[in-house]
Parts: sequence; structure tokens; C-alpha cells
Amino acid sequence: MPDHRVVTREEWRTEREKLLAEEKELTRRGDELTKKRQELPWVKVETEYSFETKDGTKSLADLFDGRSQLMIYHFMFGPTYETGCPVCSSIADSLTGQVAHLGARDTTLICSSRGPLEKLLAFRDRMGWEFDWVSAETDFHRDLGYFSTEEELKPWLESGNIPATVTQNAEMCGTDVAGYVAEGPGLSVFALDGGDVYGTYTSTARGLEGPAMSYYQLLDRTPAGRNESPDEPLWVRYHDEY
Amino acid sequence: MAEHHVGTEEEWLAARKELLAEEKEHMRQADELARRRRELPWVPVTKEYSFETGEGTKSLAELFDGRSQLLVYHFMMGFGYRVTEEVPGCTGCSFVADHFDGVQPHLNGHDVTLVAESIVPLEEINAYRDRMAWGFPWVSSLGSDFKYDFGAAFTEEQQENGAEFNYRHVDHPEPQREGLSVFALQDGVVHHTYSTYNRGVEALMGTFQYLDRSPLGRDPDGPGTGGSWWRRHDEY
Repeated sequence: MPDHRVVTREEWRTEREKLLAEEKELTRRGDELTKKRQELPWVKVETEYSFETKDGTKSLADLFDGRSQLMIYHFMFGPTYETGCPVCSSIADSLTGQVAHLGARDTTLICSSRGPLEKLLAFRDRMGWEFDWVSAETDFHRDLGYFSTEEELKPWLESGNIPATVTQNAEMCGTDVAGYVAEGPGLSVFALDGGDVYGTYTSTARGLEGPAMSYYQLLDRTPAGRNESPDEPLWVRYHDEY
Repeated sequence: MAEHHVGTEEEWLAARKELLAEEKEHMRQADELARRRRELPWVPVTKEYSFETGEGTKSLAELFDGRSQLLVYHFMMGFGYRVTEEVPGCTGCSFVADHFDGVQPHLNGHDVTLVAESIVPLEEINAYRDRMAWGFPWVSSLGSDFKYDFGAAFTEEQQENGAEFNYRHVDHPEPQREGLSVFALQDGVVHHTYSTYNRGVEALMGTFQYLDRSPLGRDPDGPGTGGSWWRRHDEY
């Protein structure tokens, strides 16, 4: 536990109220950013992508499943993986409870990976997930910025600066570091209008924390916080392996 | 569909990068606030509270379940809260609670226990929890002052004459409100470290954050105005 002061309720309340004013400011600023996101231009998707799904081959437009907005979480599960990335898995853990509410707001949220559909669905069964998960051709992840070639990664792979978390996660996925980092995590948002698909937004890295990693928002409200160190491998595990 | 203009890839990228800089700045502000929260002082909880749980009566210290940090979600259900027999739990709280089971194993793996509490008999909680197919621990605080002391329920007298909600005076508080209270257990003593209410509980709701990244947004009239489209997950 971190060092802390122990005070009376009145003293605590004074400090808490001060912090509340700043929390409200942060919320308002978040609302402004939401508005700005909605003002981003849309870009028409001209490439014909195809996806393997449990209901056969589908186009990007098909994936909207009758709704006007589509969110795709680029789940790191490449062809060389045996199981999915543990951090992406922690993100996926929250999806089952959310899809009904997103659906009611005209939004379909699914996961997409480059790994073969069979492996994806077998892992989904193990984890007890219910959301749709599709296997995408490389170009889809590539075009959105969530796939890197070995050649592109070479300087980094040879740098000797591979974080302990990356080595650990690659092992957990049953692949090597090069295979693991070829995939990138990301959230891509699309809109369907007049039969055309448009890209509206995409976000990666810490941009995923707000929507996809609520456990961080909760840890940010505890005394010990996230309690992570850059020198130690990440604490996140598959939910059935804690 | 939402109003929009169609641009080229280059236009989009320029606008996206500009926005990214602001998103990063917002995130740094959030990091700074998280740091400030960790600096908040602690208040020892000296009053004895008891809760009915699936494993018998427990004290607040026992709700930690062997961990050193406890999050308690104040779930609106029962007393004074206008619901019918068929829909006993608050719709908004049910929406919030749909986010609990996914984060639970990760919080537990990181020394944090997450529990919901309501001032209704445990059997009513269990029946509703079964209907909603939730697995997180949910205890009854009926008969204790817990929910009142931590600012999420108000007596009839307070509803009439006013009380403090969310750190400010409210003339006529509602019987119950949503909230999240955080506790730490050290050397056998429970300390209260933090509570948040109202839009403060949005931190729990990844769904809102997802929708905030979509053209339609979370609510027809903008963030914080919502509620009209929310249903229990089995009622859509």
C-alpha cells in the first residue's frame, strides 16, 4: 500500500471536493473531444475486403449486421499464435456485457484477427465469449495500420530493447516475439450510409484504455493505482489463469 | 445518420492527428488526476456495518475477501426507489453492472475486490441477479447505515429537508443514487479512500467510451443527457 495520511472525515471531504472540481473539468473536456471526433471527415472505403465468419464469407458492409455503425477491435491473434494476446483477451472479456447496449445504439461491435477462423472460435469457446469474431485477410489489418511485416520490425527486433511484457505475452500466445508484434491492437470505426462504407475513426495503444480497458479506470480510483512498472512484465493474465 | 462531410484519406489523417494530440493531452490530465486521487488521505471506518451475503453475515472488512482494496458499487434497488415487482433493479445501474463480470477477474488478480450492495433482502437481489445472469458478488446492506453513510441513500427526513449528494447540498435528494466507494484494508483497519457519484460512475462504463468514438455518439442530445434509450440487456 502507498504511503498515506489518515485524517478526519471533514478534512478528507475538503480535499475530495477540490478534486471533484477537476474531475468535472476532465469530464467536460472528454465531452468536447467526443464532439470533435464526431466532426472528423469520413473516408469512403473503396477496397473490397472479405472476411471469414462462422456464417461464411462476408464483405465489410455485411459485418454491420443491419446496423449503421460498425466497430472492429483488431484482436492480436496472428497465424502463428496458438491463443490470443492476453491483453486483447482482457479487452474482449468486457464485450459480452456490452454488445446488447451497443446494438441498441445502432452499433455492431466485433473482433477481427488474421489468425484462421477455427483457432479464433476454439479460443472463443475456451474463454466463454459470445461476440462475433472474424478472420480477416492481411490487407484489412495492414491498411488500417495493425499489421507490420518482419522487415519493418527488423530494426526493433534486433535492437535488444524488447520489453519483458512483449516476451511474456508472446510466450503466453505460443508464438515468438516477431510473430507476436506483427499484429497490432486497435479499434476501427465505420459507418454505413447509402450502401457505402466509410472509415470514421481509429485508435490504438493507450487510446484503447477508455473504451476497452475499464479495469484501468477502476484501478485509477484505488489507493494502489495501476501498480505497474516498466521493468516488470505486465500482470494481466487470461481470466481462467489467475 | 449523423451529419458529416466526406474527405480524402489525407484530410482525414490531418484531422485525426490534430485530434490525437488533444486526446493525449486529455489522457495526461487523467493520469495526473489518478495520481492526485492516490494522494487523497484515508479516513478510518470506525462504525460496524454488517451485510447479508451468499456466505452468511459479513463485516465490511470481510467483504475484501482476502484482498487489500475494495470497490463497492451502490446499486439502486428497493426502498423508495420506484420500480415494479417485475423490474426491481434500476435500469442505469443494471447497465453499469453489465460491465462488472468482464473486469472482475482482472481486478481480483490485481488485489482489488469489486462488490455491489443494495438495501433490499438478499433473496430479491439473488432473483434479479439470476435473471440478469450476473456473477459478481452482490450483498444486502438492508438494516445497516452503510448506503446512507456513504452518500447513496437518503432518509425520508433528508428527502424532505435536504442533504449532501456528490459533495454539495441538494434540497430534495432522491431516495437513492448511484455511486462507487473505495476502501483500503491495512493492519486489520478498514479505511475509506474515495467515493464518486453521478457522471463519476461513467468510468465503469466502457460502452459509453466506445460510443463516444462513433459518429452517433452515446446519447441523442450529447453526453450526460442520456437515459432515454437505456434498457436492461434482456429488454432491447
